[in-house]
Order: sequence, then C-alpha cells, then structure tokens
Amino acid sequence: MSCAPGEPCEEGRKRRTAIGVLGLMAVIFIVLSFASFIDSRVQAIPDAVSYTDYDAVQGKRVFQAYNCMGCHTIVGNGAYFAPDLTKTYAHVGPAWLEAFLPSAGSWPTRTAVQVQLQKPEVAQEAGVDSIQAYFDKFPAAAERVERRSAHASTMPDLPLSRDEIGGLIAFMKYTSEMDTEGWPPVPQVAGLTFPQALPMPAASAVESVSSPASGTVSAAPGNPAELGKKLALETGCTACHSADSRAGIGPGWGGLFGSDVELADGSQAHIDETYLHTAINTPDAQVAAGFNKGVMPAYANILDAEQVAAIVAYIRSLGGLEQ
Amino acid sequence: MIRIQYQTQRLSMRFFMLMLVLFFFQTGFGLLLAAQHIDPTLLSGLFNFNVVRAEHTNLGILFILAGFIGTILFVGPLLSKRELAAPWLIKFLFYALVAVVIWNVLTQLLAQQGIAGWWLGQPWLHEGLEYLEAGRVADIVILVGFSILCYVVLRTFPPVSEWNEIHWGLGLGVLALTLVWIFGLFFIERLDLQEYFRWYVVHYWVEGVWEVIHISLVGFLVVLMFDARIKTVGYAVFWGISLVWLSGLLGNAHHYFWVGTPEFWQFWGSLFSALEPLPLIFCFWHIYLDAHHDRKPIRNMPAFAFLLGSVVLEQVGAGILGFTMTFALTNVWSHGTWVTLSHAHLALFGTFGMLGLSAAYYAVPRMRGIRDFDQRVGKLAFWLVFTGMLGLAFAFAIGGTIQVFVYRTLGLDWFGGDVSQAMQVAKLLVPVFGLVFAIGVGLLVYDLMTIGHRGHSATMQRGVEVSTVPATHGWRRLLTGWEAGIWLLGMWVFGAIITLGLLSFNLSGVRAGSAFFPYLMAGIGYPGLFLVTLFFVWRFLSSLAARVTVPAEHASAPQVVVAQ
Repeated sequence: MSCAPGEPCEEGRKRRTAIGVLGLMAVIFIVLSFASFIDSRVQAIPDAVSYTDYDAVQGKRVFQAYNCMGCHTIVGNGAYFAPDLTKTYAHVGPAWLEAFLPSAGSWPTRTAVQVQLQKPEVAQEAGVDSIQAYFDKFPAAAERVERRSAHASTMPDLPLSRDEIGGLIAFMKYTSEMDTEGWPPVPQVAGLTFPQALPMPAASAVESVSSPASGTVSAAPGNPAELGKKLALETGCTACHSADSRAGIGPGWGGLFGSDVELADGSQAHIDETYLHTAINTPDAQVAAGFNKGVMPAYANILDAEQVAAIVAYIRSLGGLEQ
Repeated sequence: MIRIQYQTQRLSMRFFMLMLVLFFFQTGFGLLLAAQHIDPTLLSGLFNFNVVRAEHTNLGILFILAGFIGTILFVGPLLSKRELAAPWLIKFLFYALVAVVIWNVLTQLLAQQGIAGWWLGQPWLHEGLEYLEAGRVADIVILVGFSILCYVVLRTFPPVSEWNEIHWGLGLGVLALTLVWIFGLFFIERLDLQEYFRWYVVHYWVEGVWEVIHISLVGFLVVLMFDARIKTVGYAVFWGISLVWLSGLLGNAHHYFWVGTPEFWQFWGSLFSALEPLPLIFCFWHIYLDAHHDRKPIRNMPAFAFLLGSVVLEQVGAGILGFTMTFALTNVWSHGTWVTLSHAHLALFGTFGMLGLSAAYYAVPRMRGIRDFDQRVGKLAFWLVFTGMLGLAFAFAIGGTIQVFVYRTLGLDWFGGDVSQAMQVAKLLVPVFGLVFAIGVGLLVYDLMTIGHRGHSATMQRGVEVSTVPATHGWRRLLTGWEAGIWLLGMWVFGAIITLGLLSFNLSGVRAGSAFFPYLMAGIGYPGLFLVTLFFVWRFLSSLAARVTVPAEHASAPQVVVAQ
C-alpha cells in the first residue's frame, strides 16, 4: 500500500472505489438502524411507562439535569464511580427508592421503607403491602437495609423535589423494563456469603432504640428528646425534614415549634404539641401551605404514643418561639 | 527553514497556548477525581464528582480541539501555498472558544442543583450526558465555531482539482467534524435512541473524524520533519483514511450491544470493530518507514517524541486495548467498568493529545524565530507524561479487572464499601501515576510557554546529543524494520492475553467464583503490554538520538556514510 515515485498511483480511481464501498457500509448501517427502532420490536418506551403520577420522560429530564451518569452508569455508560442504575428499580423496588432519594446522604432504615410502603400508590407499584413481603420480593432492598441502614452513604444529598423524585423513580422503572440483551450478566454466586469474597463487614446498626414494629420502647433514656432524635433517624423522618429551618421535601424542624403556620386551606394554625401529634399520626389532616397532601405517610400504625411524644420533644428541642 | 513562510501561520500560536492552559486545568481536575475516588466525600456538595468529571472530560475534548485547530492553522498555509483566508474570523473563533470554555465550566456546576435550563424542551445550560455535557447555548456556539473552521480551511485550500490526499483528509475531516456534531443537539426521550445518537457524535468524532484529521496531520508533520515526499505520504494517508472509515462506520455497532438495541448489532460490531486496528497498524508502520526514509539526525526531538508517542499510544490504547473489549463476549464484562477507562485514557490523550503537543513543539519555536532550543525539558516532560499515562492505564486496567469480578461475577454492588474496598490498591495507584503525569504536564506547559523567551542563547544546542560515530550495536543501534515488527508483535501477544483474560470471565469456573484465571491473564497481559510499549518507544528514540550529526550549517563538513 505504498506508491513509489514514478508509479501510477491511480488515486482518483481508488478514491471512487473506497467511496463506493463506504456507501455500501452506510446502507447496511442504515437498514440495521431502521430495524432497531421499528415498533414491531418490543422494547420499553418511556412514553408508555409511568410511576404513580409521574412519567418516565419527565424523569429522564431530571436524570440529565442532575447529571446522574456523571457518577453512575446507565445501560453501562457513565462514570463507573457508583452503581449501574439500569436495573436498580427491579432490584430494590419503589419503596426503598422513595425512602432513599429525599436524603441520599444516608441509607434508609427498615422503618423508613415500611413507612413509604404504607402509601397505597407505592404499595400498588410494589405489588406487595407488608414490609416482609417487600423484602422477599426485592432482596436487594433487604440487603441494603440489613447492611447499611441509617449509615452515611457516599452519595451527596441532592436538592430533589417531590416531583423530581417521582420522575426519577419512573425513569428507573422504565430502564428496568428495557430489554438490554442480557446485560448485565446475572451473577451465579451469592457474593455476600461466597467464601472467597470479602464484603465489608456488616456495619453494626446504630444502637437499636426500639423495634418500632413491636411497639415497645426499651430503656428510654432520661431525656425524651434524645430518644426522639434517634427515632427520627430510624423511622426516616430526617430524609425529608432537616434539623434547621430549611425546607426539604417537608418543612424544616428548626424553630418550628411554637410558630404560626398557614395551612393549605388558608386557615392559620399554631404549632404546639397537639398539632405535631396530629401531623405525625395523620399528616393529611392538616397540610402546611406550600406542601402537598399524600407526600408524608401516616405514622399512626408505626409509632406508639410514647414514641410520637419523644419525636415531638425532639422537634421542640430544636428551638422555637416558646423556648 | 526557521522562518515562518506565511504570516497568518502565527494565528496558530494563540490556539496552542490555549491548548496548554486547558490541558493544565484538565490534569488538575483529573487529580481531583483520583482523590475523590479515594475519599468520595471530598468536596462533596461544593464540587461533586459528577461536576468534576464533566469538567475533566469536556476540557479534554476542548484541549484536543484547540490543538487540532492550532495545527490545522499552522499547516494550512503550507499546504495551500498561500495565507489563510479571513484572519479576522480566526481571531473571532479564538475568542468564541475562550468564551465557550468559561461558560461551559461554570454551567456544569448547575448539575448540583438540578438546573439544566429547560426551554423549548431542550437543556440550554448543561445536558448531563457523558461527553456531551455542554448545554445547547454552548453547543450552538461550538457549531458556529466549527463552521468558521470549515470556511477558513476550505477557502484557504486550492481548488478541489488540485487537492492532494492530505487536502482531502483535512477537508473531509473538518466538514465531518461539523456535521456529526449536529446529532448531539436534540433532547431524545427514549434512552436507547438517545444512546444511539450520542455515539454518533462520540464514536464518529473519535473514530471517523478525529482519526482522519489525526492521520492527515501526522502525515504532514512527517513531511515537514523528515522532508518525506508529500505524494508518498499522501498515498499512505489515503489508505489510512479508507481503512478508518470502512472499519469504523459499522464499527460503531460495538456501542450498541447493551443499550437496548437488538442483538444483531453484536455480530456487526464484533466483526467490524475487530478490523478497526488495521488503519492503526498501518499508521504505526508508516511512522517507522517515514522516520527511516533518511538517516539524518532529528533536529527537534520533543516534537518527534510526541508524534511517535501519539502513533504508538494510538496503536496500544485505541488499537490493542480497544480490540480486547470489542467482542460481545468480552465487552459484556468490560462494559461499564474501569477496564474501559484504561482504553479511553490511552487512546484519547495518547492519540490526539500528543499530536497537538507534537505540533506545538514543532511550531512554537519556529514562530518565536529560534533555531535551537534547550530540548532537555521537553524530553523529560515527554517521558513523565508518557510513563505517567501508561501507569494510569495500568492502574485503571487492574482496578477494572477486579471491579468486573467483584461487581459482575460476585454481584456485590455496594460501591462505597465492597467494590471500592476491593479496588483500593488500584485506586491508590491512580494518584501516584497521576502525579507523575501532572509533573510532566507542568514542565510541558512551562517549557512551551517560555521557549524562546528564556535566554536561549546560553543553552543553545543543549540537550541535542552529538555523536560522530554511528552506533552499530546495543540499545542505540539502528532500528530495523524486522525489529520494529517484533516489538509490534510483542504488543499484540500481550493484547491477546488480555483478550483471553476478559473472555475467561465466561468460563463456568470463573462464574462459579474463581478469579484465578482472569486475574492471572490481566496480571501478565497489562504490565506486559505497557512495558513493551515503554521499552519500544525508548528503543526507537534512542536509535534516532544516536544518529550521526551532520551539522547542516557546516555544509563543508565531510558527509559521513551511515553504516547499515
């Protein structure tokens, strides 16, 4: 493939031949491309996938707006710094994602997942309504709760709104439904129990305050606010409520106690113990202006009166007019 | 030959300097990424990993483009035997490029707040897609910039009937650069369709456009450095471009294995992208032939070292490492892991980054009107950058192999715990080699910015080794074609070992949890490949450095007959 001086190189003819072959390749490529996206090929499309009130296209915009693939990968493309998200929805299910995304900086606890599962629309999407059935159906959620519950994660807290979270979950539901030709390969060994694997030792869970399901408060510390602080972490409150006055998914708790608040129906309410008890047990009964019904799950079946009182004591300790 | 023949060639200087500045910051962001891999909470909330990575990849692309533009502007008048068309447009292009760089660096930060600037369904501020992170505002300015480049190049070139193969390569290259960019200008709802078109830009840029520009520019730099005949080199450029396009057009299919597109792509992608190394082998062979077409000493060693580095790393990073993961059966494992980082760093920086640096070392001293300069800094910088990048590729490859096993075979997906814990040694190696690389970059930037400005008369000719007797044996003897072929074969043997290692993840024994075979193959293959590469370049440059000096300025000096 070289042309010595004096030899006829016939560049023009060869160039035309090359362009001809290239044209043939282009035709093959175009035919294959066309066959890839015709309707008869059954492939999930985001238009057709929704999660509760959110559609996957909306979620894809959120996914790009936060540059999620700058750390994660999606269908294997991205930054390899964090797990691939293609099948995450199928692995951990919607309730775990609902519990995780509002404050991604820490891993959700069992109760936090359980609380999300109480929402009828989440339970419907998950296809189960008890936490045990949920963990059986989504073992990856059970593994996450068991190993990392309430510990700090390495993902930064993102200022995700309620709608953005719903959209993201819809998008991940869509990618879970995509046919990716068998990728990623399904592991044939259980890595956690495999003898040659060296998984991180299971992080000892924060000293268990109580088992909320059993409803007994064990050895309540002298200070109920201390207990409330632990409970707030364990039961997932802190995913949406910050300890200062900044609003997250829900209002910030700092300085909240004793203030006056305008409710969504236009009436005024004074935030006292009664108000907070109602807000925790049956949140939809009174929704502050600027927030929506149905976002916060009801804790009436999760926490007993003593535990609610402890959380209220904690909120009160975070400051307010009556302090 | 030290004069600049055409005044508008000087317009390339500002693009070379911009390239150096961007390269410097890109390296800095790379070091920060390495640190964040070790401590993921570092600067969390202030500069999240995804933002730093977007800056790193975008500055990488922009510094390569600045190098391309600089080189094209420098050789354009020489190729056309006349001044560049519309110098004022080139000046405008420069300021537009600077503005778009600053704008894009700032808008990437908005990803932390989830602000993409949606308007008319498009993300105007930033887009959040790997390699195409720039928002529409920047995209459109870049499109205008490419159009200006096309206009300048095509108006400067002689009429098409007088084009040689290098004109064809560059002309088609800049046109395709602009056209392919258009495919990245739309928000696409379907993920599979979005990935399909994203790779139009990324793959066809790298494999269709940049490589064509690369081959053409390497060809012309060889003509300039070795006084090779333009017709001979042009003929090689024609074959190079033909092979690149014939293999690369359908080779794009290797990006369509797992993104939701049908299975038949696995056949086409595995077949055609396995042919993609052919043009690179061809290019590799030609740089050997052209460097040996006469036996004159190399007057500008840093320029040639970077040119050789560019062609060799193209062979190793794009050719061999690309080949190892191009088959559906190996790609199913390497996809989405650090294994691909090894390929990407060597191929992108090696091939395209080093080309711009080579051109800068050739052009900058000329434009500053100096005949000889202290080449020691440049050579040292080359070796630091070259070994640093090979070391980085090694760390990524080893880390990636472990990642494949832990993440895919064992199914452990806790990146903060299980996965990064297993990859810890590799993660620590990255900043070590990264630092070597960064020191090289610092030297390089200092050297190229100050060549001709720091009292060069005192150090004139320093660093140019002068010998009067040709070396006939040992490490510095003449590099024959046979020996170069053996070196190349050695690289491919190790490449084959790497490929078998990736393939072995399919074995039932490995799938049942034994990492022995893939780890062994990676442990032999990667260090072997990178050491052969290192020693080959060392051997090649030593043999050239040992060439007998025949000072051109002393025309009366007796000609030394070079012994075979």
